[in-house]
Amino acid sequence: MRLRTRTAYAFLTPYLLVFLTFWIWPIANSFWLSFLNTRSANWTFNPRMTWGRLLVDPAFANALWNTLLILVIQVPVMIALATVLAVLLNSPILKARGLFRFAFFAPVVVGEVAYAAMFRLLFNEFGIINKMLVAAGLTSIPWLSDPNAAMAVIIIALTWRWAGYNAIIILAGLQSIPEDVYEAATLDGVSKVRQFFYITLPLLKPVIILCVVISVIGTMQLFSEPFLITNRGGPGQATETLGLFLYRQGFGAFNFGYASAVAYTITALAIAISLLNLWLGKERE
Amino acid sequence: MRSKSSAERRRGIALHAALFPLALIWLFPLWMMFVFSTLPENGIFSRDIILTPSDQFVENFNLLESDTGFIRATTISILVAAAYTVLSVALTSMAGWSLACYRFAGKGVVLATILGTLTLPYFVVVIPQFIMVARDFGLHNTLFALIVPPLFNSLGVLFMRQTFSMMPHELFDAARVEGVKEWRIFLFIGLPLARPAVAALSIILFLHSWNNYLWPLLINSKPAMMTAPVALGSLIGLTKVSWGGIMTGAVMLTAPMLVLFVALQRHFVAGISAGAVK
Amino acid sequence: MAAVSLNNVVKKFGSLPVVHGASLEIADGEFVVFVGPSGCGKSTLLRMIAGLEDITDGEIVIGGKVVNDVEPAERGIAMVFQSYALYPHMTVEQNLSFGLRMTGNDKADTQRRVSRAADILRISELMQRRPRQLSGGQRQRVAIGRAIVRNPQVFLFDEPLSNLDAELRVQMRVEIARLHKELGVTMIYVTHDQTEAMTLADKIVVLRAGNIEQIGRPLDLYYDPDNQFVAGFVGSPKMNFIRGHVVERNDKGVILELAGEDGTRLAQPLTGPAPELGSHVTVGVRPEHFGDAGKGDADLTVSVDVVEHLGGTSFVYAATAAGEELVIQRDAATAADAAEITVSIRKSYLFDEKGLRLR
Repeated sequence: MRLRTRTAYAFLTPYLLVFLTFWIWPIANSFWLSFLNTRSANWTFNPRMTWGRLLVDPAFANALWNTLLILVIQVPVMIALATVLAVLLNSPILKARGLFRFAFFAPVVVGEVAYAAMFRLLFNEFGIINKMLVAAGLTSIPWLSDPNAAMAVIIIALTWRWAGYNAIIILAGLQSIPEDVYEAATLDGVSKVRQFFYITLPLLKPVIILCVVISVIGTMQLFSEPFLITNRGGPGQATETLGLFLYRQGFGAFNFGYASAVAYTITALAIAISLLNLWLGKERE
Repeated sequence: MRSKSSAERRRGIALHAALFPLALIWLFPLWMMFVFSTLPENGIFSRDIILTPSDQFVENFNLLESDTGFIRATTISILVAAAYTVLSVALTSMAGWSLACYRFAGKGVVLATILGTLTLPYFVVVIPQFIMVARDFGLHNTLFALIVPPLFNSLGVLFMRQTFSMMPHELFDAARVEGVKEWRIFLFIGLPLARPAVAALSIILFLHSWNNYLWPLLINSKPAMMTAPVALGSLIGLTKVSWGGIMTGAVMLTAPMLVLFVALQRHFVAGISAGAVK
Repeated sequence: MAAVSLNNVVKKFGSLPVVHGASLEIADGEFVVFVGPSGCGKSTLLRMIAGLEDITDGEIVIGGKVVNDVEPAERGIAMVFQSYALYPHMTVEQNLSFGLRMTGNDKADTQRRVSRAADILRISELMQRRPRQLSGGQRQRVAIGRAIVRNPQVFLFDEPLSNLDAELRVQMRVEIARLHKELGVTMIYVTHDQTEAMTLADKIVVLRAGNIEQIGRPLDLYYDPDNQFVAGFVGSPKMNFIRGHVVERNDKGVILELAGEDGTRLAQPLTGPAPELGSHVTVGVRPEHFGDAGKGDADLTVSVDVVEHLGGTSFVYAATAAGEELVIQRDAATAADAAEITVSIRKSYLFDEKGLRLR
């Protein structure tokens, strides 16, 4: 290939301008902001008001705890479900494939607001879920006013929304496994279940780790669900996540410095957990 | 003809027995969204379990329209999503072409910067972006604020770069030898051959913009400039508001995307799996 | 019409050198073939002539003009690619005319050139088809047609036949030879197939690992190779190599003992400097340069593995006492399946330890 710097930048510049202005510069700026006291009229360097406060703020600790709790429960459940879904949907003997794919993949196109509104209504104290529970002889649950139940609603909603998305990715991974591997195993008399555990899962590992990383990053910035479904992190602050906490600090209290410190914490955690996942994935090879 | 073994038949039954109820559970919320949008208010909160639609959709939508200017908000959403998609496809495919087809000074740095910051959470930029657009530029509550800042998304760049790299470069060399200008090679050979990728990317970008919530919520808070999701979200949690109306809004946000999804499932799936596999 | 010359051309990818300083003169109207194993730099050299790769050092001259910094389109060249590089979304006609249309050529002239090329290559009835509706041979014709349309001074071919099956390859080879005769322009042709090189070229350039090993007419390379690499690369089946060492030097040349053949002496007359006494050398013998025992310079007894009877001739796959594998061409009548035969070397080439020819 010839060196074509001028031509290359002619094609690249329009995008680079947007990329630098609205992505790279804000990333750097945000870091600087996280050291500023933005509560006074003149923003002054004062990390004690941001990073210092982070260490002792119980509201931050609560949001961090809630986020990690959702992460630890929701991500594994969803990925396991998505893997099973992908394998089942990939089965050659499946009938009505289009219908099943629609059922599980459709949530991918549903917007956060629409589905949040719907889940809020479904799990309303007088909503259809409770009516069905009562009809089945169980007691109704105060879904949105009990802290644990509210957390469960968030997790259920997230799983409904994202399991299909991950299944699509895993399905793509499954379809890249050559058929003859399974044929060889079948000839060797390996059962279907064993094929899943000894062939499918190991070969899918990179894809599954990718899904975990994507989900972790998504969960770290969870915002719309607690904002809309559980009414701004309610009851009390039982479902307040880091994303919601940042929103309240940044755009409720307009404390940009503190919110930036939270933003960088979210980023650092997301990167750390992703790297941990990648490392764990490599370790067992 | 080979007859199916009984073991295979049993596996088939087990497979469908496991998937069918799960599929019903998954479809339930979407179905109920539709049902609720057609029920009168006292139907949604009645003591009976109502699983079939009624006929109050138009009445509910009128309630929504009086609660918030939903038609205007939807118009803004369509405008924004269309403009965003066209601009983003144009910018990212040009950038992807550049990174796939040329050797140039600084290429490594550009690529490393894009890849290295790809997975950073959006929250890390939202505050400076807000300060810049709202305070420094004074452009909050404008279409510009909704369309331009989100164009930074680099997924399209990587996707298009990969698409162009996988094409046989002899095609472009052949045109070069014939004296065809680079931008014409891009326009008349590269892009036409990338049509399936452009389709997949457009769909994903449109969906992304259509459903975008946080940034429009922050930057366009004036009711007259709200997008449809923000307008709808602003009603959630209010006390004197029609839930049937909110559900008609949810249906109107969701139904077009579901239709698109059914019609173009292949492109959706391609876009999502490509977006994930970097 | 143009001559091409390469003056000490160097190509590096980063710090990795792929062409080490190639110098070459190509006369106007000559058919030159670059041949060598994959990775030898032949395609890179061609792409540098085309202007698709930068030249790290040295210069390339086409038609008396240094073209190092000239865009490909202004070099007066046209190129046929290995994959044909036909635009899949255009018809044959659009493929042929694309370059001319994009560079603002006069419409009537474009039309004229396209139909002329179509006539030459007999593809007029395919004009409205798309590449995927064509057979491999037809695609190849369209690709060549696209080059003809440009009225180039120099044609460049980058392994144009390697995607065709054996029969078509022979057919297209003849076609390209005919085209060269008809158009009379300079052609530079890259291939890894020495048969193509031998049959098409006026002049062959043998490359290995970024170096030009030898330049010459096909039969000169065959009968008078400069080194062991060229000797082994040109000819099929390959030249046989037998190790040996020098046991005697005199003013006429050297006398060798072949490995594993105690007592068998082979006298090699030399005009140039002779190798040291005791030094290791390699003797090259082409398969057809063996004969019956007692009729040549030295006799070998070999054990036979397999004999391939091709009708007019036979190939005997055998091994020497030292375990060196040989291919021996014999008349069908004299080829025996016997476990051991005795053959005689009638003609041989001598190479020193570095593989250089000793003459």
